[in-house]
Amino acid sequence: MKGIVFTEFLELVESKFGLETVDTIINDSDLSSKGIYTAIGTYDFAEMLSLLTHLSTHTNISIDDLLLVYGEHFFDVLAASYPQLIDKYEDPIELLSSIENHIHVEVRKIYPEAELPTFEIISKSKTSLIMMYKSSRAMYNFGLGLMNKTFSHYNAKATILLDKIKEDGTEVKFSITKN
Amino acid sequence: MSSVNPEILQRALLREKAARKAAERILEDKSRELYLLTQQLKEANEKLQSGLTEKTTELQGVFDNLVDAYVLMDLGGNIIKLNDSAKELFGYDVPKESINVVKLIHKEEFNYAMSSFNELIIKGSFSDYKARVYTKNKGIRWVHINASIIRNGTTQPIGAQGIVKDITDQRAIEEQNKKLLNDLAKSNEELGEYAHVVSHDLKSPLRSINALVNWLREDYKNVLGKSGLENISLIELTLEKMEHLINGILNYSSLSNEVVLKNEDVDINGTIKDIENTIFIPSHIKIYVLQTLPIIKGDKTRLQQLFQNIITNAVSYIDKEKGRIEISFKEKETHYVFQIMDNGVGIEEEYFGKIFKIFQSLGNNKNSTGIGLSIVKKIVEIYKGEIWLESQPKVGTSFFFSLKKVIL
Repeated sequence: MKGIVFTEFLELVESKFGLETVDTIINDSDLSSKGIYTAIGTYDFAEMLSLLTHLSTHTNISIDDLLLVYGEHFFDVLAASYPQLIDKYEDPIELLSSIENHIHVEVRKIYPEAELPTFEIISKSKTSLIMMYKSSRAMYNFGLGLMNKTFSHYNAKATILLDKIKEDGTEVKFSITKN
Repeated sequence: MSSVNPEILQRALLREKAARKAAERILEDKSRELYLLTQQLKEANEKLQSGLTEKTTELQGVFDNLVDAYVLMDLGGNIIKLNDSAKELFGYDVPKESINVVKLIHKEEFNYAMSSFNELIIKGSFSDYKARVYTKNKGIRWVHINASIIRNGTTQPIGAQGIVKDITDQRAIEEQNKKLLNDLAKSNEELGEYAHVVSHDLKSPLRSINALVNWLREDYKNVLGKSGLENISLIELTLEKMEHLINGILNYSSLSNEVVLKNEDVDINGTIKDIENTIFIPSHIKIYVLQTLPIIKGDKTRLQQLFQNIITNAVSYIDKEKGRIEISFKEKETHYVFQIMDNGVGIEEEYFGKIFKIFQSLGNNKNSTGIGLSIVKKIVEIYKGEIWLESQPKVGTSFFFSLKKVIL
């Protein structure tokens, strides 16, 4: 997993819960990186899982909610780093429906080794989009956070329903309706 | 911030420091990788550049040294480039002068040119275009053109190139040759017909003379006396000889017609037997076939004529008490070589060439018309062979002739 996901995560934890919490979850998790992350490195996904689990325990917030917040935060990181990628689209539905065929293609050009989820489009209209999320990471709520922020970026609102096709969350149907 | 445990701060600091070092290491690796890639790209680029220069020089060499005219044009027919031969042929100094190929096309061949141009666009090339063009200084020239489309990197057609050959002189010579050949064939045919007609027409007055002489002898037997009758006999002999001669010419003139020649298996052993039954062979002369003769592909009548004429010739010139004619052959790679040997009077070497010419007869043999051996020579030539002889005066003569095994 790309280092930026770790560094941004810890930044967010620090800003929301303070440096002590950061220190605690790093100490509690048995990390081979010892919590030393740089945005340009690549680290084991299990470390992220471990950090999330300990943060959830420490704060009594569910992992799903933590991921949702983190996803919302991460949209701002992406928007700041790759504004031209987002400016290409005039509409949030257009942007979301291009994840698989355009955005991820570009991502792979920069990070050939990136392990990306797939967002298969099941149906699409001007105001709605149904997509199937598939990833062994089961970070669908992270995706939901990103989507929420996508709509607010375009000053739009949407109702997004999640339907777990697989119990473990590795396959989730996103039904998005623009309000 | 002030309430934070210094130990936590210190740990955070250490992590940040380690992360910075890790980042620096990663970046260092990345820039080394980038440097190496840049070097590789540079090398590849240099290689490509030198390859390109090489190809360009090669092409320029081909372009300069091409004997034929080379024309490069855009798709609108505007000429972009001409090599020296092309400048010389068309008389235009491109690019100083601009010229469109449409202006060079002969007005009568405009449609042909346009359909060829369409073929070029659709199929990418045309070949064997033969037509007239206008040139600046050399008038109308006949040219032969092969052309092809030039495409850019995305295989979009961007122009066309043509190799142009000036065939004006070649065409003139070809036309002339064609005419000459036609004339020759015609006059040959006429000559053959003429000989045939003449000899045919000569025969009927000959028969009349023969009949009249006969009547003279019968009606004036008593008046003519002994010497008169002898003279009449001489006239009859001469008439007979003349008929032989005319038959010979008829035969000879019909020989050259190769269309009627058959191509069948001819057993030469049978041919010799047929000859022995056909011609008169005095009892003191014997024919010896020394080996089994081959079966060859050819026209039975002509082959019999060939052997018969040589054997007849041998029979006529045998002056010995016991005459011998020996027939043998040797098989060569492409030909059979036959030998017919006799123990006749022989021929002086100075006449070797002469005997194969028409109407040339040595000595004064009543059966000899002087046509037999010229027929022989002609038949041998039909079968792509040669004829020659060895002879010793007073001892005998050997005729050799070769016949090609398969006539295609």
